[in-house]
Amino acid sequence: MEQLHTLWMSTGLANFETDQVIMMLVGFGLLYLAIAKNFEPLLLLPIGFGAILTNVPLAGFSEVGGLLHYVYYAGIDTGIFPLLIFMGVGAMTDFGPLIANPKMLFLGAAAQFGIFATLFGAIALNAIPGFEFSLQDASAIAIIGGADGPTAIFLASKLAPELLGAIAVAAYSYMALVPIIQPPIMKAFTNVEERKIEMAQLRHVTKVEKIVFPLGVLMMSIFFLPAATPLVGMFCLGNLMRECGVVDRLSSTAQNELINIVTIFLGLGVGSKLQADKFLNVETLGILGLGAVAFSIGTASGVLMAKVMNKLSKQPINPLIGAAGVSAVPMAARVANKVGLEANPHNFLLMHAMGPNVAGVLGSAVAAGILLALVG
Amino acid sequence: MESVNQQFIEAGTLMIAGMVFVFAFLGILVVFINTVLVPLSKKFPDPQPTHKPKKLTKTAKVEGIQPNVVAAISAAVSNFRQKHNKE
Repeated sequence: MEQLHTLWMSTGLANFETDQVIMMLVGFGLLYLAIAKNFEPLLLLPIGFGAILTNVPLAGFSEVGGLLHYVYYAGIDTGIFPLLIFMGVGAMTDFGPLIANPKMLFLGAAAQFGIFATLFGAIALNAIPGFEFSLQDASAIAIIGGADGPTAIFLASKLAPELLGAIAVAAYSYMALVPIIQPPIMKAFTNVEERKIEMAQLRHVTKVEKIVFPLGVLMMSIFFLPAATPLVGMFCLGNLMRECGVVDRLSSTAQNELINIVTIFLGLGVGSKLQADKFLNVETLGILGLGAVAFSIGTASGVLMAKVMNKLSKQPINPLIGAAGVSAVPMAARVANKVGLEANPHNFLLMHAMGPNVAGVLGSAVAAGILLALVG
Repeated sequence: MESVNQQFIEAGTLMIAGMVFVFAFLGILVVFINTVLVPLSKKFPDPQPTHKPKKLTKTAKVEGIQPNVVAAISAAVSNFRQKHNKE
């Protein structure tokens, strides 16, 4: 009889706590979004599964000795995984459209206003009882507005590791929701005439330019913002491998096998942070809300900046491409293209929007560096 | 209450400093592209594909066969294949 009792006590059913069940349901919810709705499946699937595993009673996945514990501390706590992902993203990024039209960098810069405005919002939330965000917490939450998963995880792991799960889930959820969140904002700030604007064709960018560009960005980061060099440096390494043309094998590994392997572990590691006691609180709701605000402000400021530049510049600029200044490559650029096509079926903005899009990646890496330097 | 105010001031300073820096950094990058990369692209233009035109002329010669000859050959080939398949 006693053995039966021991056996019963070693089952999951006897040990479930309500919070764990809720978090497992959150995990299943993420799996549903990934599989049925195709929302950022590459990340939400391992994150969702990690969330289920980490809440299994008695298994101790996230305690010392457990798989997820080591995955988290080896890869995310140290910042290695997001940086490796950034190298892969660099190897996938073509800076051609940006070099051809360098003014687009200003759109990438303007969209970072979402980050800094949200910082303000996070501090303002402290006025409501139940919220106690330090400046570090607020900075880590605000970076969601950069719409860049690896940057958000990197910064959160440095500034506010206890909020990492919520921040990563918010960042990736909103990135998946770009096609839903952005168009209404883009339409609200532009009129039909502006959306119809066609842009001049981009010039050809030579191989030498593409090779020197990442080196130049790296040097600037070394001179002006060493705190951003982990992110910018790995990004430039990946990009140089892509463009130099002599290490195609490395470039191919960085943008395929390596990034895939790291993505699996990054997702699991982030999922392991979705533990009931750390996730089920009002702060998570605050983070989700602030993330949406950050994203919307970033989109709006990008569009407004593009409108101003259109007024000042000799060459026409379609304000829609400003929205692509929040990174979320290449989804945000596709959305700009789609909304442009709705207004003018002959207007293909995709390549033009890729300029601010990759500028946004640089912009959010720089913003992360600034936050690290000033708050970290 | 005062600490909240202090945090607000800090956040505001961070916002202004951050935006100024982001614009300055990416602005310098614009200057870098215009002053370094654009002249570089003029000095070192992409090598013109020297082999390709030759290949193209070769293929052009192959394609230069008159269409009626091509039609005759393909008809003969399909005829030949059909016969062999039957046998």
